[in-house]
Amino acid sequence: MSGIALTFTSGLQRYAFAVAVSACGFALTLVISRAVHHPIFQLAVVAVVFSAWYGGLGPGLLSAVLSAALIAFFLLEPIGSLEVDRGEEILQIGVFLVVAVVVSALSEARHRAERSLQARTKQLEDANRELDAFSYSVSHDLRRPLRAIDGYSSIVLADYGAQLLPEAHRYLNLIRGRVQYLGQLVDDLLSFSRLGRQALNKRALSPSDLVRDALNELKPEQDRRHLDIQIHDLPPCEADPALLRHVYVNLLDNALKFTRGREKPVIEIGAHHMGNRTVYYVRDNGIGFDMAYADHVFGVFQRLDATETYEGTGVGLAIVHRIIDKHGGEVWAEAEINRGATFSFSLTGSTPSHV
Amino acid sequence: MFDQAIDILLIEDDPHDVELTLHAFQKQAVSPRVHVIRNGAEALEFFHGTGPYAHRDPEQGPRLILLDLKLPMVDGHYVMRQIRSTRAHRTTPVVILSSSSEEQDLIKSYQLGINSYIVKPVDFDAFIDTAHMIVQYWLSLNRAPAA
Repeated sequence: MSGIALTFTSGLQRYAFAVAVSACGFALTLVISRAVHHPIFQLAVVAVVFSAWYGGLGPGLLSAVLSAALIAFFLLEPIGSLEVDRGEEILQIGVFLVVAVVVSALSEARHRAERSLQARTKQLEDANRELDAFSYSVSHDLRRPLRAIDGYSSIVLADYGAQLLPEAHRYLNLIRGRVQYLGQLVDDLLSFSRLGRQALNKRALSPSDLVRDALNELKPEQDRRHLDIQIHDLPPCEADPALLRHVYVNLLDNALKFTRGREKPVIEIGAHHMGNRTVYYVRDNGIGFDMAYADHVFGVFQRLDATETYEGTGVGLAIVHRIIDKHGGEVWAEAEINRGATFSFSLTGSTPSHV
Repeated sequence: MFDQAIDILLIEDDPHDVELTLHAFQKQAVSPRVHVIRNGAEALEFFHGTGPYAHRDPEQGPRLILLDLKLPMVDGHYVMRQIRSTRAHRTTPVVILSSSSEEQDLIKSYQLGINSYIVKPVDFDAFIDTAHMIVQYWLSLNRAPAA
């Protein structure tokens, strides 16, 4: 029934609809009752449901009364015929009226719930569209002035650098550094917000391929250093390949970043079974962090390193969290200061037993 | 009458972007001849051969069109459609120089027949490299049919 869309502009139309439906229902009832030699009420109930569903409670009740009156007048034996038990007839009409009122109240309630759901869906769609327009405008308009600030600072340094004192050079370079950071932040936040609205494209895949891609993307960093990267067997899974690749890029980027300055940096990528789920992990022997902050690492803008030793905007792990969340899985971290960190995730639910 | 020879036609409304882009091209070993158009309406005059561009000879270029997507009044996509519907510039290489890499922009631009899409980096040093690559690739390495 919800497939048919009927809209009425006035109350009169809704009641007229109820009358028309009741009349149709009665006409059919008349034909069938003649054929089976017995008055039936089922079609009248259907007419009441239609009237209530599309017209509301009032038209539903009107349809009930009208149907009952028509059946009583035309189909039941006329008053005065002695061989008929009037009690049974009155009972039949009474039962019909009660059923009709309950049914029309129920379908009116269901209809209302459906309408409010539709309204809410539309609100959500509007909000999404607004968010889209907002991030579109941010990505165009916020980066523009950043480019100008960096451009002019760079021109001053390159073309007038000789006339500037060393302090001035330092300040201009600081300006450029902060501008780069802000540009990166804009990009990261945009990709974070885009992720929330992106549809999942799940398929069966091998995480090993994604890890290889991710490591390739981070190649420049690896080339500069002596790294021990161990990749264990990774069981296949169901996931969105582009998004899961993003997860590995972010986790590996972190592992690379926080093992800088380690004499023998080791990064381990693997998986193990925990109950009936597969848990994938990326482990490093980097600077780690205090487990007291374990809940904070996945928040947007949460950087545990307040100095600027390690570059980054603090959005990376929030993106990881959002992607795993979208897959219906879980992500968590275990770490120890100066001993390294392990980031684990599963792509299916249920709380890990040891956390 | 407009009769200069042009290597690159830069269609860009933001004065700072114009200044910085010209600066980046001047930093090249061989600076290309760049003509700047600052809004969509003027771009339409250029391609339709009206107003100040009434007797422009398409033989004089441009060999490459750099187009910003966000132009006031007439947007980049509309300008792109006009470029591809003029006979003289149906095959002129068009490179989008955009601030953003929004998927919707990319799809629409390529559907309209652009030849390349470049996101302007925030880092100006990287942008000078980008300008270098544009000149190297589009004005030297690439072959395009004559107008």
